[in-house]
Amino acid sequence: MATAPAATPSELIENVTLRIDGRAVTVADGTTILDAAARLGIEIPVLCHDERYDPVGVCRMCVVDIGARVYAAACVRPCEEGMEVTTTGERLERQRATLTELLLSDQPDPASDPKETTTADNELLALARRYGVVKRDGLPEGAIGLPLGSGRGIDDSNPVIAVNHDACILCDRCVRACDDIQNNDVIGRSGKGYTTRIAFDLNDPMGDSSCVTCGECVAACPTGALTNKPLHGVPIRPRSELRSVDTVCPYCGVGCALTYHVDDQRHAIAFAEGREQPGSKRRLCVKGRYGWDYAASPQRLTVPLIRREDSYPKGPLSGDVKGEGRGMRKPGGLVDYDEVLPHFREASWDEALDLIAHRLVAIRDQHGPGAIAGFGSAKCSNEEAYLFQKLIRAGFGTNNVDHCTRLCHASSVAALFEGVGSAAVSTTYGDIVNADVAILAGTNTTANHPVASSFFKQARRRGTKLIVVDPRRERVADHADIYCQIKPGTDVAFYNGLMHEIIALGLVDREFIARRTSNYEALAELVGQYPPERAGQICGVSPAVLREVARLWGEAGAAIVFWGMGISQHTTGTDNARCLIALCAITGNVGRPGTGLHPLRGQNNVQGASDAGLIPMFYPDYQPVDKPVNQQRFEAAWGRELDPKRGLTVTEIVASALTGGVRGMYMMGENPFLSDPNINKVRKALSALEFLAVQDIFLTETAEFADVVLPASSYLEKDGTYTNTDRRVQLGRKVLDPPGQARVDWEVIQELANRIGLPMRYDSPSEIFDELVSLMPNYTNLSYDKLGPTGKLYPNPDPAHSDGIVVLFQERFNTDDGKAHLVPAEWMPPRELPSEEFPFVLNTGRLLEHWHTGSMTRRSYALDTIVPNAIVYLHPGDAERLGIADGSFARVTSRRGSIELRVSISHRETPGSCFVPFHFREAAANLLTIDEIDPFGKIPEFKFCAVRVEPVQAPVVPARTPAAVS
Amino acid sequence: MARTNGRIPGVEARAGRSPGPSLIRSLNAIQREHGWLPREQLVRLARDTRRPLYELEGLISFYPHFRTTPPAKIEITVCRDLSCWLHGGDERIARIHELYGDDAEIEVREVSCIGRCDRPPAATVNERPAVVSELNDVVREARAPGGAHAGGLRTGQAASCAAAPARRHWPNDPYPEGADASHYGVVRAMLAGSLRPADTIELVEHSGLRGMGAALGTLKESGLRGMGGAGFPTAAKWELVATQEGEPKYVICNADESEPGTFKDRQILAEQPHLVIEGMLIAMLTIGAEQGWLFVRHEYGPEEEAFRAELAGARAQAILGENVLGSGRRLEIDVFTSPGGYILGEESALLECMEGHRGEPRNKPPFPATYGLWGKPTLMNSVETLAAIPVILERGGQWWRDQGVRGGVGLKFLAVSGQIANPGVYCVPMGTTARELIELAGGVADGAELQAFQPGGASSNFLGPEQLDVPLDFKPLADAGSMLGSGALVVIAEGTNLLAAATNVLRFFRDESCGKCVPCRTGSHKAHQILTELLERGGGAGDVDQRIDQLEETMRLTSICGLGQVALGPVMSVLRMQRTGTAAAP
Repeated sequence: MATAPAATPSELIENVTLRIDGRAVTVADGTTILDAAARLGIEIPVLCHDERYDPVGVCRMCVVDIGARVYAAACVRPCEEGMEVTTTGERLERQRATLTELLLSDQPDPASDPKETTTADNELLALARRYGVVKRDGLPEGAIGLPLGSGRGIDDSNPVIAVNHDACILCDRCVRACDDIQNNDVIGRSGKGYTTRIAFDLNDPMGDSSCVTCGECVAACPTGALTNKPLHGVPIRPRSELRSVDTVCPYCGVGCALTYHVDDQRHAIAFAEGREQPGSKRRLCVKGRYGWDYAASPQRLTVPLIRREDSYPKGPLSGDVKGEGRGMRKPGGLVDYDEVLPHFREASWDEALDLIAHRLVAIRDQHGPGAIAGFGSAKCSNEEAYLFQKLIRAGFGTNNVDHCTRLCHASSVAALFEGVGSAAVSTTYGDIVNADVAILAGTNTTANHPVASSFFKQARRRGTKLIVVDPRRERVADHADIYCQIKPGTDVAFYNGLMHEIIALGLVDREFIARRTSNYEALAELVGQYPPERAGQICGVSPAVLREVARLWGEAGAAIVFWGMGISQHTTGTDNARCLIALCAITGNVGRPGTGLHPLRGQNNVQGASDAGLIPMFYPDYQPVDKPVNQQRFEAAWGRELDPKRGLTVTEIVASALTGGVRGMYMMGENPFLSDPNINKVRKALSALEFLAVQDIFLTETAEFADVVLPASSYLEKDGTYTNTDRRVQLGRKVLDPPGQARVDWEVIQELANRIGLPMRYDSPSEIFDELVSLMPNYTNLSYDKLGPTGKLYPNPDPAHSDGIVVLFQERFNTDDGKAHLVPAEWMPPRELPSEEFPFVLNTGRLLEHWHTGSMTRRSYALDTIVPNAIVYLHPGDAERLGIADGSFARVTSRRGSIELRVSISHRETPGSCFVPFHFREAAANLLTIDEIDPFGKIPEFKFCAVRVEPVQAPVVPARTPAAVS
Repeated sequence: MARTNGRIPGVEARAGRSPGPSLIRSLNAIQREHGWLPREQLVRLARDTRRPLYELEGLISFYPHFRTTPPAKIEITVCRDLSCWLHGGDERIARIHELYGDDAEIEVREVSCIGRCDRPPAATVNERPAVVSELNDVVREARAPGGAHAGGLRTGQAASCAAAPARRHWPNDPYPEGADASHYGVVRAMLAGSLRPADTIELVEHSGLRGMGAALGTLKESGLRGMGGAGFPTAAKWELVATQEGEPKYVICNADESEPGTFKDRQILAEQPHLVIEGMLIAMLTIGAEQGWLFVRHEYGPEEEAFRAELAGARAQAILGENVLGSGRRLEIDVFTSPGGYILGEESALLECMEGHRGEPRNKPPFPATYGLWGKPTLMNSVETLAAIPVILERGGQWWRDQGVRGGVGLKFLAVSGQIANPGVYCVPMGTTARELIELAGGVADGAELQAFQPGGASSNFLGPEQLDVPLDFKPLADAGSMLGSGALVVIAEGTNLLAAATNVLRFFRDESCGKCVPCRTGSHKAHQILTELLERGGGAGDVDQRIDQLEETMRLTSICGLGQVALGPVMSVLRMQRTGTAAAP
């Protein structure tokens, strides 16, 4: 079932026989001496080589005698028939010792070596010990006494990575890590001869360069040249002295496997490292490698809080959230605890939970189950999502349960369900290696799915044609074979034009269409109205380019599409996704390796939370709530009568609160005040709620409206499973204890359930997992025991022996008739078009360094230091016309609100359009956004509204001190 | 060729080498426009070409031609390597610094050998060769309004300012003096299919040969060996490339001689460009290439102009172009001007440079014959080798063999410099002794006694007076513990500190080390540091300790390319002479 990788060495014919240290070995042509020796168990010392990188042969430590005039570098020299290789001996070892000393003579003293004093795994010093070549103090034997040198210097400009050029041996491992693994292309060699050193960009300080601080170079470096800096004074020590916890990154849907090395004396993480896993392959991004310290913030909630009597009537508590004093905001962007906390008093867990149970039950009893709603979180585990929706559905009797998937891929889910009967990806992100062509549609992957993007960029270097379709020329567009800068909101026209041309060229897969799709004629008729000339005119891409893309896609043996919020967050989001599904289906590009549909999921567990039923229209595993057979199944399982109607979505719940529908809410880990569109409306809705319980790890903007605030546990403080964008279900393991009285979320839900008459008696997350698996056919066969260290893909017929099914829909789709349903879509313009008064298009989204409403990342030292401020990105031409300089301030105003923030001039923007990330409460993008929604997915149009941009004086604010975490 | 996971065995990873077309041309264009490389231009170039900034940094910091600061109005460069050093180089350089050091309009740079060792100490003013004794006049001229500015690639105008060298008739030229119309006779004959049958050899039926009268037979008979240093049999190299399967194939003429004392190829380029071009064309026809390149040092401006003029003439006669002499065959030769650095003379470094990367030698195998320019089979020969081809084909292999003496084969161009009366390029029978050549060049300067000589350029071991009768030929020199190398005889008279001379040579190698591999990058530096400190203390060969011996062994055995392998060779030869009192031992 797994995809077919490129030829593995085992498939090559082994026909070259040579002798190494007198022992014969037969290997495939092209095998290096190093690999052949390893086959015989002969270890050859090496510094510049690592199995993950292609060899460069520069350190010369691995030289061997092949009977030639000079020695050969075993890491790069291919074996030859009849070769006689000697890998050791006095003369060879003497050269290795001299090479070691040559390098060592320029190194920092071991006593101050940045590697030896941290993880203590300096590979050069290990060799030095082996050869008895010890610098300065210590044993001089073996050393010939070369003059010592140093002076290439230190670069301390990156907040979390220390660069010590003296400790650099120019092995190029970091260069290859940056280029060939992460494909960030930042590090190279500068200078020549003895003065050569590694350099970032144009020999700039690392912190000023285009480096994205993924830390792959640190992981690659064998010496002390690139090391992690300790965070918050927690020293980095040898791994053996720390407790290592194998778990998964808490941030995005890529779900990279990692290991935290924990200092138990300090109850803190010392550092993180990527871990082997079939998807992420030890890679991490800046958030994963350096962004975990938010959990240690002193601002963590540690005691249940109850709103004081005198803080009623309810409403926002801080000036910021009230919307006062715009432009004079306190920098830093976090809720001001000093301003907000006095409105709450500490309470015991029992008091707080009793109060929540009592109030919510009272509201339900008085106004009916429909007056209750719950927002769960895509940051919580499958078990917590499952329990949360069970609480709302079985405990309160309503399907009004949803989470932030509504704000990201709800439209994709709607289209996928309708089209192929399943909302999960049809193949993994890594399957791109098997694709001839890949389209990245509306996805800024380098920022939002950095590790997945590294595989996309890598595939392109290995020959996959990469086509990027996005109004913003993001970093990944620099790697594209073809970049299509479509006008915002014209995706349907673009893809219809593409399909028109593919059909016109006869590049459709007739057999696939006939056997595996329905409604092709209607689709063909509609896209017939979008010849490239017309489509190109709408979307601003030349017909020639459209034709070129169509031909590439149509002629590809395997083609795949990845998409993100640029597709989904539109009022036509479902139509956009329908087009992508149709594009794949009519060309037969689903169900085979290197083909398929992959909506890149945002949150670490947005896939799992949706799978587990944290959405108003489905029970777990997408079993529609309005189908009696499903209702009966779950009523039987849960022992409660269930609501036969679909519940309200996130956006509908907010609207309903304004009109007195929903009156009582329970929010676990959601912060709609910043994440939902048109904040002014959200403010009114939250204020209007009769009762709001918020369960979170920090005092969020939303918590200001709460009656009760419960201190939850962070990801790092509990066990649970998380399902990534690939459908990989992985175990997240507890790393640290929750602070104070904070409790793990599943226990809190259970406590509450027991108080409202829905008994829950789970002893562990694995028990919950077993229950959900029993109700979720797609998760069949999975259990904690079987997930193993790297998790398993679902569906998985044999988790004991298989990683799971990579490619879905090989024979049939999940629809009732097994066919893909093609749904034609007419292009419709966005709801709020630019006008004379509001001439710009506002686009919103994320930055690499920040996460959603910033409550985590703005409390991370690394992430907050790298990007401390809210920014609006403007095209150079627009900025010039408006008289706005880079780094100055601008006011961005829509019909709904106005924010002031710093300007960054960026050639990556579409002219006439500006981009504001939504992480920053002091300049909240969602004050501006429009709350129009897609009719099917109910997702708001975050990617398009009309705004005005004007220069303003820089606000008088105190200088920003990075990192709220002391 | 077998591939493992898409890679050719032995081809090393692309660390720091972005795929895609070379950016060196674009960098040249920026520098031509601005005189230097302003940062914003580099950022724009990176963005427009979607190439990483580090790649640009790698190039501009590696190649001495590129500059990241605005140039002074006048840039003086002075050579500090052996041949010039022997002519009071240190003092002259000090004097030039003294004269112009405080002049804001003038920048003085000490540089590695610029290949004008026959007019020591060699200097340039705004990239134009200049004689140090006339420096004042040249500087005044440059300072005047309208004077040539520094920066940018030297222009044709600047180059033509240098006196065009007089063309002499050399014994390797088969065409009568003054009868330019007869040039390219061999190529004409090949294309007409009328090359004598004896010249063809029965090769495997190979498309690369395309039925052309193959020159390989004659070439084999002639016993011609590569004159660039290694002495690889030329016919064997051609045959190897001719029989490769890869297409297209390329021919590169390596005109990047940059070793101190070496300037014979410069002379050949200046005076016999027609022979070089014809040699390249014959090679292209033989191996089945359509495209040839002259890779020439940027210091050879006037010579490059002469070559380009000859190319234009050949093109006008349809010797070059889309349809050469009506044969329907395309033959093109272009010039690639090196952005600088001795290491580019190493063939794989040269290829890296042409592909737009840092000129760092590759791990070998594969060799250029199988995996050369852009991974295609590539024939690379030196200027002198190619210039010998026409006469061999015109007069036959035996004729060539007959030109040598004492068992030597053919003719040999040798550059003579150092403490010699008449430095210059001499074409002599292979097998001529050093004594004969020194006599031909007027003897040791000022009638002094000879102390030592390097027979084959900076990387060749020093020999003493007792070895003056060793024939200047591949094997006899190897037997004597040295080599024919780059064909540069450097003469050192009595009274010179020989260890200091060898240390000067070592400094050259240290300065020109690309820095790719550890032994060369670090070893050359440490060795130079040890010897310099020793010399400063007034130490001599007897004071040199085992560290140098060990560094020499490590560099020789473990360096990637010849530079590191031989960098300490000359020093060791002096140590052997002076530690034991006898000259270099085999």
